[in-house]
Amino acid sequence: MGGNGALMNDMQDRITLTVKSFATFREVMDPLIRMDFAKGATVRTLLTEITGRYEGIDELMFAAPGTLRDFVNILKNGRNIHFLAGLDTPLDDGDVIALFPPIAGG
Amino acid sequence: MDGYAGNMVYADLAAGKVTIKPTPPELKKQYLGGRGFGIRLLTDAVDPKIDPLSDKNIVVFASGPLTGTGIPLGSRYEVSTLSPLTGTATSANSGGVFGWKMKKAGFDAVVVTGKAKKPVYLLLDNGKAEIRDATHLWGKTTGQTTDAIQSELKDDKVRVSCIGPAGEKLVLFACIINEKTRAAGRGGVGAVMGSKNLKAIAARGDLPIKAADEERLNVVKDRVRKKIEDNGIEKALHNYGTAVLINIINENYVLPTRNFQTAHFANAENVSGETIAKTILKKPKGCYACIVQCGRVHEFDGEYGEGPEYEPDWAFGPDCGIDDLKAVARANNICNEYGLDAISAPATIACLMEMAEKGYVKHQIRFGDAQGMLKLVEQIAKREDIGNELAEGSFRFATKYGHPEYSMSSKKQELPAYDPRGIQGYGLATATSVRGGDHVYGYMISPEVLGAPEKLDPYVTKGKPQWVKTFQDLTASIDAAGMCLFSSFALDAQDYADLLTATTGMKIDAAELLKIGERIWNLQKLYNIKRGLGRKDDTLPARLLNEPLKEGAPAGQVWRRDEMLDEYYTLRGWDKEGTPTQEKLKGLGLV
Repeated sequence: MGGNGALMNDMQDRITLTVKSFATFREVMDPLIRMDFAKGATVRTLLTEITGRYEGIDELMFAAPGTLRDFVNILKNGRNIHFLAGLDTPLDDGDVIALFPPIAGG
Repeated sequence: MDGYAGNMVYADLAAGKVTIKPTPPELKKQYLGGRGFGIRLLTDAVDPKIDPLSDKNIVVFASGPLTGTGIPLGSRYEVSTLSPLTGTATSANSGGVFGWKMKKAGFDAVVVTGKAKKPVYLLLDNGKAEIRDATHLWGKTTGQTTDAIQSELKDDKVRVSCIGPAGEKLVLFACIINEKTRAAGRGGVGAVMGSKNLKAIAARGDLPIKAADEERLNVVKDRVRKKIEDNGIEKALHNYGTAVLINIINENYVLPTRNFQTAHFANAENVSGETIAKTILKKPKGCYACIVQCGRVHEFDGEYGEGPEYEPDWAFGPDCGIDDLKAVARANNICNEYGLDAISAPATIACLMEMAEKGYVKHQIRFGDAQGMLKLVEQIAKREDIGNELAEGSFRFATKYGHPEYSMSSKKQELPAYDPRGIQGYGLATATSVRGGDHVYGYMISPEVLGAPEKLDPYVTKGKPQWVKTFQDLTASIDAAGMCLFSSFALDAQDYADLLTATTGMKIDAAELLKIGERIWNLQKLYNIKRGLGRKDDTLPARLLNEPLKEGAPAGQVWRRDEMLDEYYTLRGWDKEGTPTQEKLKGLGLV
C-alpha cells in the first residue's frame, strides 16, 4: 500500500498536456503529442523539452534564446500566451497547447 | 508622371462605341488608380437612386500604377460598381495576370456604360479597343469562354476576364473570373456585367510600362523583395496556401461553424491547409510577379482546378458543417466555372441549412450534407428551383421566410470566416466596411490573431477604432496602387509610398498615402449615405451581439459594438450618424 500511495502522490504532482503543432512546425515535429510534466511547469518548460526532442524546431521557433520569433503564436486552450504570462504562463493538467509558426492568409 | 499606361477606354455598350482618352492627371494624383479610380468614376457618373442592375449603372475595371511594373506582388486590378447585393459603392479585387495585361494593352482603366442589345465582349488590343459579338459565348462557363476567345483570336496569350452563367442569370453575388480561376469575387460585380450583356473583357499587347525613376525603383524593389522573402509569414502562405488559417482560427475558437452557431469545428483538420498540402495539392501557383505563390493547383479523381482558398474552404466546409475536402474543392471549382462568389454562395447555403433544420424553410438539406450542398451550388448558378431564391443572397432569402436574423451578413453581404465575438476590432472593421460584410477592406485579423505587425488582444475594444481606421485607409490605398494586400504582412506605409514615388514621380509620403486611402473611404461612405445607409447599417447580425460564444477561451463573449462605434466615427471626423463633417470633406478635397 505504501508503494502505491507514493505512486499516487507522484501522479498527483504531475500534469498531462496535449501539444499540437501546425504548418511548418509539423515539418520538424509531430503534429500531436501527449506530454507530462511536474506541477509548476510553464510554457518555457514545455518548449525546452520540445526543442530538445526535435531537431530544427529551435531555429524555427526562437530568434534568440528565450525570445520567440516574430509572429510565432502559442495558444493555451485557445488563448494566446502573449496575453497571459508569455513563456512563464503556467501549465495546468489537461491543457491543450497549440504551436503556430508565422502564418497569414485571408 | 509614369507607371501608367496613359489612356482609359470608355465603352458605351448602348451606342456600340468606344472612346479612348488620356488618363486624367488629377485622377492619378487624388486617387492613384484601381479602387480609387473606380470609386471616383462611379460616384461621379451614377445617380445613387438607380437600380444597380439597370442600364444606368457603370462598371469600371482599373489597375494601379504599381500593377505590372515588376514590383513583387504588384498584380492587382479592381472592378468597381454599384453593388446589386449591398446597394453600396463597391469594389472587388483580383490578381492573376489580367491587370498587368490591361496595361500592356495600353489602358489604365475601362469604363463600361449602358447595355448592349446582344451579348458582347470588349477587346483591348495594343492601344485599341473594340466591341465584339459574344452571342456564341453566352451560356458558356468561364473556362469555356476563355478558351473560345483565345481560340477565335488565335492567341493563347490574350487574357480574359469574364462572367459565367451566374452573371448572365443576374445572381446577386455573381463574380468575375480572370484566367479561369482568379476572382473579383464580392458584391455581385458579375451580375452588373450580365445586366449589360457584357460577357468578357479580353486584353493583349506588348506596350511598355515605364517607371519615372527606374534606378530608384530598382533599389526600392530590392528592399521590399528582401522584406517579403525574410518574412516568415509569407513562407507559410507558399507552403500551405491561405487555408493555413483554418487551424489557427479554429484553435482560437473563432472559426464560424454551422452558420455561426458555434465557433469551433471538431473536424477542421480535414479541410486545413496542411491537409490540402498532403492530399490534393499538385503545385503552388502565383499571380504576375509574385514571389509568394499562395495559389493552390489541385488534382484528384480526374478533377483539376485551383484552391480552395481559406474563405471558400471555410464557407463550404465548417460553415456548412462539412469536412469532405474533395467536396469543398469541387464546390469551389463550380463557383469558378459558373462565376459565383465563393463566400456568399456557401454562406447563403449555410443560412438555408440552419433555417431548414429549424423548420422555417421546407427543404431536405441539413448541415454536413456535402452532396446536397454541391447540388445547391449549381441550382443557385442556374437559378433553378430553390436556387432561384438563394440567388438573391442570404439576407433577402431569410427575410422572405420571415427570419432575417439567420442571415449572417452585414449590409446584405455575407460575413467572412471569422467570428467577431472573439475578435472585437475585426468586428468593427467588418461592421463599418463601406462595401458590407468583408475582411479585406481592413484586415484586423492580422494584429488580433496572427500578431502582425504587433499582437493586439482580440478580446479588448480599447484602442481598436484607431487601428481599424488606419487599416481601412491603408488598404484603400494599397487597392488603389495595384498591390496585393498580402504584401502588407511584410511592408509598411513607407514602403508603398517609396514604391509609388519611384514609379509615378509624384512625391508621396506615408501620410499622403493614408490620406489618399481616407479620401477613397469617405467617397464610398458619402455615396452609401445617399443610398440611405447610415449608423443603423454599421452593425452585425443580432446573434453576434446577443448570443455569447459557448466554447474555448472566448466563451461568454459577444461583439461589443457600443464600446467602439462612437469613437470610430469621431476619429473619422464623422458625426454621430456616421456622416462625414464638412471640415473632414474639405480636408480631403471632397467639397
